[in-house]
Amino acid sequence: MKIFRALGEWVFYGIAVAVLSALVHFVVVLAIPLVATRDAYSSLSDLATPGQTVALPRATPGVRRFPFLDPAVATAFCRYDLSNGPVRVRAPLGRAGLTSISLHTRRGAVFYALTDRAATRGVLEAVIVTTAQLRALVAADDEDNPSQDLRIVSPTVDGYAFRRVFSELPSLYDAAEEEAKTLACIAETPPK
Amino acid sequence: MKVLIKAFLAAVASLAIGLGVTERLLRDGGPFDVVKIGPWNIATRAGAADADPYTRASLERSGEIPLALGEGLQLIARDDDQGRTLDPRCSYSIGPRAPSARYWTLELVDPDGFPVDNPAQRNVFRSSEILREADGSFTIWVSAAAHSGNWLPIGAARAFALTLKLYDSPISATSGGIERTSAPKIAREACA
Repeated sequence: MKIFRALGEWVFYGIAVAVLSALVHFVVVLAIPLVATRDAYSSLSDLATPGQTVALPRATPGVRRFPFLDPAVATAFCRYDLSNGPVRVRAPLGRAGLTSISLHTRRGAVFYALTDRAATRGVLEAVIVTTAQLRALVAADDEDNPSQDLRIVSPTVDGYAFRRVFSELPSLYDAAEEEAKTLACIAETPPK
Repeated sequence: MKVLIKAFLAAVASLAIGLGVTERLLRDGGPFDVVKIGPWNIATRAGAADADPYTRASLERSGEIPLALGEGLQLIARDDDQGRTLDPRCSYSIGPRAPSARYWTLELVDPDGFPVDNPAQRNVFRSSEILREADGSFTIWVSAAAHSGNWLPIGAARAFALTLKLYDSPISATSGGIERTSAPKIAREACA
């Protein structure tokens, strides 16, 4: 009898540990986005103010900020803040190489991306807007002379544009970085 | 008193198991929306606005700036073709082909995704710089000791992972577009 009681106790604690572990696991997974301080947006916010373009240091041993960055790809970013109006993201293409822009919310999600194949007249360009700003822009549009802008609605008021420029050879990295730095987040005057 | 001690131990065990499981599951983009091709893992929804909570938590925790689907795909391998964990005391050959993409890069990183220090100062091979056979096939050698041809040094890593980034690739991971045969093989050659 004593054996059974001891066994029952083990089973009880086993189930309790399993249930509690699962609870801890789910709470941690759901809480991470709310409390993370090393997420990409927080790290980028330490490096630049909105509108400022900053090149990220090349992925080398010892630089431990943004994991899984490609040492063959030069990167630069600028933050946008839509609270004072739309923001125009502009990236002139330099060499005829692989380059792309991705638009990220502050929660890390990518909501739009453009590669150099989508460039018009040698420039990658998009206007980031909120839903309300898009409505105002559309209302203000001239019907006979419609805007040529690519308007992208951002799910959050702030976020960042990220540019990648591929270097085909190690010796081309510096040129790729110079090209990456031509990315710009320019505040637009809000529509009246 | 005895019950209190047992309950306390159970709570500690739950916390440890819960956190441990979370840590393990959040590596490489969480347990969902991950496609496996041979030894390679692809987090297909990384950075997507409607990603599952695990994928999101994984990104926020690592601080990674994800590649957008339109920009490229990232494949991560922590095991070889036989399912054995990549071991810095062994040498590996990787090849002979890669999935079609405008460019691809192969990087050696530590388990957290950062480049590893090595005397040759090489952390990456680009598709545009490797030596190839006449038929276009290639072999990249991953080893601690110097190797002729395309040598990717393991350096001081105590554990490592390999990432393959496919830029501007016509294939999409979600549709199962990557065939098993087109992903490079990771073959263990010799162990010290």
